[in-house]
Amino acid sequence: MAYETLQDIENCMDNGWSDGLPVIPPYGSLVDEMLSAMGWQATDVIGEIADQNIIVRAEKAAATAVMAGCKTQYAPLLRSLSKALLDPKFNLGGVEVTTGGAAVLVIVSGPIVEQLGFEHSANALGANNRANATVGRFAQMMRHFCGSGGGVLTPHGTVGHPGRLSFCIAEHPATEWGPYHTQYGLPATASAVSIMSAEGPNSCNNHYGETGASILDTIGDCMNHYGQTAWYYRSGGFVVVIPPDHMALVKEQFSREQAAQYIYDNARRQTDDLIKAGRIAKDPISYAEVEEHSLRSPLKSLDQLSFIECGAEGGRFSAVIPRWVGSQQVVCMAIEDV
Amino acid sequence: MAEKTNTLNSRKLPIAQLISCGDISCELLVDPIPRPAPEPITVRLKPKQSRVVLIDHHKPNSMTILKLTQTILRQRGVEVNDEILVKGDASRPMTAAMLNSLSQEGGLVLCGISD
Repeated sequence: MAYETLQDIENCMDNGWSDGLPVIPPYGSLVDEMLSAMGWQATDVIGEIADQNIIVRAEKAAATAVMAGCKTQYAPLLRSLSKALLDPKFNLGGVEVTTGGAAVLVIVSGPIVEQLGFEHSANALGANNRANATVGRFAQMMRHFCGSGGGVLTPHGTVGHPGRLSFCIAEHPATEWGPYHTQYGLPATASAVSIMSAEGPNSCNNHYGETGASILDTIGDCMNHYGQTAWYYRSGGFVVVIPPDHMALVKEQFSREQAAQYIYDNARRQTDDLIKAGRIAKDPISYAEVEEHSLRSPLKSLDQLSFIECGAEGGRFSAVIPRWVGSQQVVCMAIEDV
Repeated sequence: MAEKTNTLNSRKLPIAQLISCGDISCELLVDPIPRPAPEPITVRLKPKQSRVVLIDHHKPNSMTILKLTQTILRQRGVEVNDEILVKGDASRPMTAAMLNSLSQEGGLVLCGISD
C-alpha cells in the first residue's frame, strides 16, 4: 500500500470521517463505482433528517459504503438499507444520540443471504465475515454520519454496546417458520433487509429442557429480568433468535404465532414488585398503562415480538435482543435488482 | 482523587473537505457527512429577561426534578413560570410549533433534565 493511502486513512480518522476504526478513503473513483452500482446519481436526494435541517444525497451513502469496506456487489442491498435508515419512522437522529446507547440492528433475509455470502450459522450475531461485518458497519456509520447534525450533536449513550460498530444478522436461507420478513408483510420469496434500533443481545442457555415450552420459558425469563429497559414505557419489543437445536424442540409444539402468544401470556412479572424495585414510577404516566396488583408483560402488543432463525447446530443456546424504546417501528424493505 | 475528564468536550467538528495528494496530482475525497442547511439554530447564551421556563422532556424523573428546581429557584428569588411545559416524546425532538414558540421566549429555557 502506498504511503499516501495510509496518510489518507490517518487524515480521515483525524478529521472526523471515521467510526473509530480505519476506513477505506472515499476516493472519487471508488465512490463513483459504488454510486453506479447503487443506481443513483451523486446529487440524488435519498432522504431527509427534517428536524436537523439535513438533506441526504446519494453520494453520502456511497462514500459511507466505500469507507465501511462494502463490495459493489452489495449495492442493491445497500440501496434498500439506505432508504430504510432514512425513513422518518426509524428516527435515525434519536438512535445516534440517545442515553439508551442503541445500535442499528440490520437483519438480512431471503435468497440474498447466500448470493452475497453472509454468514448465518456460526457466531451469527457477530460473524467474522465481510458481508456481515461491512454491511453492519455501513449502517452504524450512516447512523453516526447522518444522525449527528453534521457532527454538531453529541452521542449520549450511557454505556452503549459493541453493536454500535457493526450489528448485522443474516437468517438461514431455509427456515422452519418462514423468512423473517414475512412477519412484516413481504412474500416468502423476497430478499429483504429489516432494521430496528436495539440494545445488545442476551444469550439464553438451556441444555436440559425436553420440550419447546421449556425453551420458550427460558427465553421469556431472559426478557423479564428487572433491568431490562421495556418495563415502563413498553415501546420497544424484542427479537428472539432461535438456532437449530432449540428450534428442533420448539417447532414440535408451536407455530411462530403460537410461540409469540405463549411468551406474551407467560413471560410476566408482578407489577407491584416492579414498582417496589424502582422499575416503574410510583406516579406513572397514562401512556405506561400501569395496573397495580396485576401481572405485567414487557410487551404492549404481540407485534413487538419477532423471531429470526439463525445460528449453528451443536449448541443449545438462543438469544434475546431488546429493541430500543425510542424508535418503535421495524422498517422492512425488499431488495430489488438495480 | 483523579480528575474526571470527558473526551466529548474536546471533540472537534468533522472537517468538510479532505484532499489526497500523491507525487503527481491531488484529488478530493468525497465528504460522507451531510451538513445542516440552513445552519443550526443559534442559541442566545444570555437571556433577555430574568425568567426561567421549564420543560419536562418526558424522560424518567424529569417532572419530579423540575418541580423541585422550580421551588428552589423561587426560594432564591428567581422568577419561574408556573406552567411546566411538556414535550410529548422523549426520543424525538420537540415539534416545530413548540420550537417556534420557545424561540420567542426571552427568558432562560431549561430542558433535558432527567434520569
